[in-house]
Amino acid sequence: MLPKLRRFALTLTRNAADADDLVQEVCERAISRNHLWNGEGRLESWIYAMTRNLWVDEIRKRKVRAGAGTVDAHDQNELSIEASGEKLVYANQLHKLILSMPEGLASVFVLVNVEGHSYKEAAEILKIPIGTVMSRLSTARMRLAAMITETSERRA
Amino acid sequence: MQNTKGLALEVRLSAYIDGEVSDVERRELEHLVNSDDEARLLLEMLKAGNNFGNSAFEEFLHDPVPLSLVRQIKQGPGAVQRNDRIAPAQPRNNRLKLWPRALAASLVLLLVGGSTGFIIGKASNDPLLPAAAVAAPTWLDDIADYHRIYARQDKHLVEVPATEENAIRSWLAESVGVGFQVPDLETEGLTFQGARLLVAAGKPVAQLMYKSGEGEIVAICFLKSKPGSSDSAPVESIRDDLAMISWQKAGASYVVVGSSAKANLQKLAERVAGLIG
Repeated sequence: MLPKLRRFALTLTRNAADADDLVQEVCERAISRNHLWNGEGRLESWIYAMTRNLWVDEIRKRKVRAGAGTVDAHDQNELSIEASGEKLVYANQLHKLILSMPEGLASVFVLVNVEGHSYKEAAEILKIPIGTVMSRLSTARMRLAAMITETSERRA
Repeated sequence: MQNTKGLALEVRLSAYIDGEVSDVERRELEHLVNSDDEARLLLEMLKAGNNFGNSAFEEFLHDPVPLSLVRQIKQGPGAVQRNDRIAPAQPRNNRLKLWPRALAASLVLLLVGGSTGFIIGKASNDPLLPAAAVAAPTWLDDIADYHRIYARQDKHLVEVPATEENAIRSWLAESVGVGFQVPDLETEGLTFQGARLLVAAGKPVAQLMYKSGEGEIVAICFLKSKPGSSDSAPVESIRDDLAMISWQKAGASYVVVGSSAKANLQKLAERVAGLIG
């Protein structure tokens, strides 16, 4: 499960260093708080929701540290870590391209399309409305379709 | 099912791809796609994006997971501060005390080990390489090389098959100079496959091979120690993608070799130490 968890973390953080820190923190928390899991539903959903929550908390802390004042991250529609080329450490150009998608698209795509979560499950994990899941998913698919042409041109 | 009426066409078609629309909407969208070239093109684009994204994100699973991260998780909460990611090789018995609950242990296994496609990054690229991995005895390096080669030989994994266990015992005891029993590790999910005779650091070494239900190979190797060698507790070291738990007992040196992603190798080595000699 670790590679899948790390992939999901990458879709949130969009850089490997933050993703690894996040994964470690999630694993520690999942293990120490295993008694909180009620055994219903998919274990991944519980862990992914925890991952998302920890990342939102981290973003909020960073904003406060940066002097932006208190931010209620749960009220935010979008998080604000830039996925600039400098920050991405993956050598693989395709990964860079994927992770450079606007915030929130990759995580929805992975949850629904790659890992088979329903819209409702994805909405619960990411704490966003189902309508947002739908719109992000279609946007992600269109962006990914555009990347096919982009990567073909780069190869040429 | 979602009501997508009134939403943008790409959103509706996207939900259609996922089967998240009602039968009525599905029929409506299918009719639209069949009669409208633009809608059909849009659907094809969404599907193409799907396929491209699926294969791209599948590739993410093949990325090396930093060894330091795996070890950190295996060590458990609070073992090392988040900003101090040094992961020294330690006997696991200290760690076991951190995991009294079965569910916690199973979570560690689920998170860290046993995943298909789980690939550990090369330790040589990992700045947090445990010191023990650098200062290990030479025979262990040879054993690691052997393991990498023989563990892939599905059809020729061993020289002498497990069906000839008695012959293996007498052959290797005589060749290596160490009496032993073949450990039964079925309770650990490992089936004895047979044995090989190797040479490491110029000495004969016995290699007992086991295979898990998932096809993972674990080896137990041993040789006669230098005269005067004292017993030692199991020590874990890492050779790139392999973890090795080695110890000395009663004039022999032993090592259990497996994937460094295998979370319970230390426990396995402890069991082997109790059964083999």
